[in-house]
Amino acid sequence: MVVDSGTMEPAEEQQQEQEEEEEEEEEEMLGLDSEENSEMSDDELQEAFASGLLKPGMNVLVDQPKKHVNNVEGMKQCLADFRKDLPWVERLVLTNPPAEDVLSQAEGKVPKPANGDVNADDDFQREMFFYRQAQATVLEALPLLSKHGIATKRPEDYFAEMAKSDQHMQKIRKKLISKQMILEKSEKAKKLREQRKFGKKVQVEVIQKRQKEKKAMMTAVKRYQKGMTDKLEFLEGDKKQPGKDSAQGSKKAAAKKGPNAKRKFKDQKFGFGGKKSGKKWNTKESFNDVSSFRAKVANAKGGKKGKGGKQNKRPGKSVRKKMKGRS
Amino acid sequence: MSAFKRKRGGQGAVGKKAKKAKVVADRDGAPSETEQGTKNEVTVPAPVSSGKWTNKERVLIFSSRGINFRTRHLMQDLRTMMPHSKADTKMDRKDKLFVVNEVCEIKNCNKCLFFEAKKKQDLYMWIANSPHGPSAKFLVQNIHTLAELKMTGNCLKGSRPLLSFDPKFDKEPQFALLKELFIQTFSTPHYHPKSQPFVDHVYTFTIADNRIWFRNYQIIEEDASLVEIGPRFVLNLIKVFQGSFGGPTLYENPDFKSPNMVKPSSCLLKLYAWYFCK
Repeated sequence: MVVDSGTMEPAEEQQQEQEEEEEEEEEEMLGLDSEENSEMSDDELQEAFASGLLKPGMNVLVDQPKKHVNNVEGMKQCLADFRKDLPWVERLVLTNPPAEDVLSQAEGKVPKPANGDVNADDDFQREMFFYRQAQATVLEALPLLSKHGIATKRPEDYFAEMAKSDQHMQKIRKKLISKQMILEKSEKAKKLREQRKFGKKVQVEVIQKRQKEKKAMMTAVKRYQKGMTDKLEFLEGDKKQPGKDSAQGSKKAAAKKGPNAKRKFKDQKFGFGGKKSGKKWNTKESFNDVSSFRAKVANAKGGKKGKGGKQNKRPGKSVRKKMKGRS
Repeated sequence: MSAFKRKRGGQGAVGKKAKKAKVVADRDGAPSETEQGTKNEVTVPAPVSSGKWTNKERVLIFSSRGINFRTRHLMQDLRTMMPHSKADTKMDRKDKLFVVNEVCEIKNCNKCLFFEAKKKQDLYMWIANSPHGPSAKFLVQNIHTLAELKMTGNCLKGSRPLLSFDPKFDKEPQFALLKELFIQTFSTPHYHPKSQPFVDHVYTFTIADNRIWFRNYQIIEEDASLVEIGPRFVLNLIKVFQGSFGGPTLYENPDFKSPNMVKPSSCLLKLYAWYFCK
């Protein structure tokens, strides 16, 4: 049963009670009916049910579609009666769509809706729409105003009461300034943090560089001491810069090729965990292999080391002094 | 303000004999110096408008009881912005609306902006042309007053505004009618005695989301750089009537949902609360 709620408002509670009663009567039963369309009292409903007009079912409250007044003729008539035809100077009215959005066009995004409708939910876009509308009006109106002899610029010595008091404008100014200060402070703090991080990075890099240089120097010195090289170019360090760059360039290129063959072999043999398939264990062949046996070495009991030893042996202090004095 | 009454319609003062100013001798007499002319008596200078003020629009701005601070400030802001407005005391809500017409007549106003607050929450605004003309009722939302610190612009008190309308106002009859009503209410008449001769701000009325958005901008530079002055509000049209505060309905907004319908009623809220607490 469909209950008309066209006059819900004045007698709301009464009707609700009625409906509840009706629903209670028929709530156990199933089925649907949508024939009855008028307001009925309890007794009438019972009679209708008894006579079979009313079938049991869920009773849905449906609003009668509200008819909204739209008296176009009346409005036009009213407007015609009401409007005043005054010269433009009296009313200063302009109707115009918003001006071109220069900013967004410059940025390359043109999400202009085709019919000029503005999305009321997008705050920024909406406010810009209103702003541009005002701008278009002003641009059009200024020449008109000057034509009619109405000034738009206040002369410097014209003091008059303003809509907002000076005190209020001071407050506004202070607020703006404070906002700017806060922004600047946060910017400074950010920059400082960045600098510190950067400084730390640079410091670490410099230290690493120094260590590398030191290491290189030490190895070069050692090599010279041990007699592997007789050049003293490592002392001149800095002079090699143009050559260094190419060397660095080639080094970089070399580094880019990745680990070399030796590294790869060693990785394969020793690296990355996993079972090495028993490569460190002795096998029958390796156990029985005596090719690396040197009888002289095995049998000698701390004897003379011979020429090899003498090659590596460092001469004594007096000998060194003599050498030093000579060279 | 001078102690002398100025006759309305300035031509009258020029035609009639000038009043003798007995007290002027005590004062500095700076204003009178300019007026000596041939007469020895001091003449009261005629008002600047001197008969040029022909468009006699007067708007009565007042409210009912039970408004909150924001509405009160909005009303005051509108009175500040519109020098052709008059104020009145709060009207009791028990009185019928057509009483407003009588108030308008007493004050000699031909337009009216009436703010009505319901349930201390919803604000309704009536705009009417007083004796016979059309009137409209709106629901006002999103009110921001002049005093908000984000509105940084300023304008002369009583300067005449430019009015800017969206082209959508011309497309439908109810909006066309409203446009005419807004123009006649909000535009300050030329040569109004309390008005300033400069035009330095612009009102915009835009239609978006089936509502009318009002903004007020200050014109800073000739290249149309603007700053918002305020106030700002949004009007949601409810009905347009043929008469003033009554009469046959000309238009009803089908998209308008009364705030009562949108908000759940108190008994429904209690029901929900009881159910969830169970």
